[in-house]
Amino acid sequence: MKRYEVIIVGAGPSGLSAAIEAAKKGLKVVVFDENEKPGGQLFKQIHKFFGSKEHHAKIRGFKIGEELLQEADALGVEVILNATVVGLYSDKEVNVKIGDQIHHYKGDTVIIATGASENMVTFPGWTLPGVIGAGAAQTMMNLHGIQPGKKILMLGSGNVGLVVSFQLLQAGCEVVAIVDALPRVGGYGVHASKVARCGVPFYLSHTIKAVEGKDKVTGVVIHQIDERFMPIAGTEKHFDVDTVCMAVGLSPMSQLLKMAGCEMEDNPKRGGQVPIVNEYGETSVSGIYAAGDVSGIEEASSAMIEGKMAGVCVAEYLGYIEKEERDAELKIFEKDLDSLRQGMFAPKNRGKKIEKTDEGIDISTNLLEKGYVADDEIERFPGVTHKAGVHPVIECTQNIPCNPCQDACPKKCISTGDNITYLPFVKEDAECINCGMCVASCSGQAIFLVDEDCGDGTATVTLPYEFLPLPQEGDKGYGLSRKGEKVCEATVVSVKSVKAFDHTNLLTMRVPKEYAMKARFFKKAEV
Amino acid sequence: MNTVIDRSKDIGEFIPQPDDDMLICRCEEITKGEIRKAVHDGMWTLTEIRRYLRTGMGLCQGQTCSRLVKGIVARELGVSPAELEPATSRSPMRPVEMKVFGKEEA
Amino acid sequence: MERIAEHPILGAKEKGREVEFTFDGQRLKGFEDEPIAIALKANGVMIHRYTKKEHKPRGIFCAIGRCTDCVMVVDGKPNVRTCVTPLKEGMDIRTQDGVEAAEMKEGEGA
Repeated sequence: MKRYEVIIVGAGPSGLSAAIEAAKKGLKVVVFDENEKPGGQLFKQIHKFFGSKEHHAKIRGFKIGEELLQEADALGVEVILNATVVGLYSDKEVNVKIGDQIHHYKGDTVIIATGASENMVTFPGWTLPGVIGAGAAQTMMNLHGIQPGKKILMLGSGNVGLVVSFQLLQAGCEVVAIVDALPRVGGYGVHASKVARCGVPFYLSHTIKAVEGKDKVTGVVIHQIDERFMPIAGTEKHFDVDTVCMAVGLSPMSQLLKMAGCEMEDNPKRGGQVPIVNEYGETSVSGIYAAGDVSGIEEASSAMIEGKMAGVCVAEYLGYIEKEERDAELKIFEKDLDSLRQGMFAPKNRGKKIEKTDEGIDISTNLLEKGYVADDEIERFPGVTHKAGVHPVIECTQNIPCNPCQDACPKKCISTGDNITYLPFVKEDAECINCGMCVASCSGQAIFLVDEDCGDGTATVTLPYEFLPLPQEGDKGYGLSRKGEKVCEATVVSVKSVKAFDHTNLLTMRVPKEYAMKARFFKKAEV
Repeated sequence: MNTVIDRSKDIGEFIPQPDDDMLICRCEEITKGEIRKAVHDGMWTLTEIRRYLRTGMGLCQGQTCSRLVKGIVARELGVSPAELEPATSRSPMRPVEMKVFGKEEA
Repeated sequence: MERIAEHPILGAKEKGREVEFTFDGQRLKGFEDEPIAIALKANGVMIHRYTKKEHKPRGIFCAIGRCTDCVMVVDGKPNVRTCVTPLKEGMDIRTQDGVEAAEMKEGEGA
């Protein structure tokens, strides 16, 4: 048996953050993870994160993972991989399977950061090869560099379903539809919009009737459902697909905490069976903490802060720091966490039907039902304004805690007001220099630079473009609407790819000026 | 949590449903109908269901089906899933070969 | 299924050296230390096993070693989670039938 001051289970965002904070205070920390590689789900997250600077906003998930690992390493944190924790007891003894042996460890404190597992739903054919979890799709394409399928149907329109659909497009797959049983898109509108403008249709109030195929998936039939989730006859639609991907929510992986005798509760707002914890993650068993998704499903950004809190708490618990120091640090973390838990999608608002933004503007119903803001709805949002010359058009229409756009503009053109969740707007006296930093920094890819009238009957639209092959200057094709339909002819004026844009290329296309506020994506003409 | 289930409650007869052949536990290949029948056979807790049918006792240890089984049992009993005590958690949390489980470090 | 040659965000993936292995006796190629399941997928293999009771096909489901649907017989050992087991040169990988290796059809075998 070996003793550690802190044993952390799970080397994902919260576990690593906890390890870093504890190690900073001088504690001897070990982190066990059952996977071959550390980082949890961060290395599958290739999109830019939301939030503010404190929350690693506009940095891609896998980069955050690399940073955390480096920091943990520099602080002497021991991360043991392929180490499956199979038992946890109330006296903080931990049994770990490493190789072909069971090892025993004793922790003075234990932080459980095991994350979550994917929920699944059943339908005829759900066990066929080709029906996979959204996590599996991410693992295949983002870790192992292989397409999960060629033609894919996504079940679930929460952030996972939307983000993974976009990643599938980036991996060169075709997403035939995003289907959700609920009547409204569950995830961020901006995530939905960037998929919709690529031409992916949304089917809300729909579910899978059956997956077809003998030995593997060859097709899928969906049908519409009523308010009581009962299928409506005659609404069936068939798609030829080789893959069906499920993104229907996550459940906390809290079994170890239950095993240790921690008081548990079934809390639907937190995603299921969770330990009862205080605001810093301490469970009912003294010295055992929970951080991240295991104590309630949220984003990786909040998991990291919860991890830091647990790290600081164990340092005080073991006498490495005074209560005053702990409280001062916790206060800062609490503030960060609180700012993330604001807005329409905050945990406290889960399940609530929100009709208006904080500014009192009607939410786009088309966005909630079809995944994109309709042309006649877009003008009412504060980021959408008109003026001569190139100017930013910010199609950010829901209150989410995010503000990189405000910091990105070197001319300070963009503001989110005094609250991180407010909708950004362009300052009236702003002088846009067409640098594109706002377009590249928007994690939701919702900012465009538009010159509505170039004087020759055309307009230019600069949009974020994260696909290959990258179009070239002079390429001819089509301007796609927010819905992803061809609306006009378009020519590529320029494609900018600089390091500061971090792989978000800025594609500028010339379109007839009537389409300045309609064309939002470029599709190259097929030769 | 820890809601004591009133065993005198009448949950009615087992009535077949069209999707009773839907596979729920992928590892042990247990269907929805089998789970529903088990409830009518008197298996009202998730631990009882697990021992009776082996749902969640296969290779994956209930990773996928726990939540599904819970929902089916709750609906059959006419309670909310949150009222059902989850099945016992005990070591080993993940499938471990017996030869490994028995081979502890010195 | 196709490997992604170049990814718009991740670039070209670093791979291990190319190795040969057998799948139900058939010689296939993959990259060393990638999960067995990925090498099989790249070769178009979707069915990893047939279930014991119903004899139904199963393949990759969770891809992170949790669901155990992708288990196969690897070098004679059944129930190996192919999505988290690294591929090695010369591995003998077989479709699992129940908890045993599926019988190979006539004419198969190295």
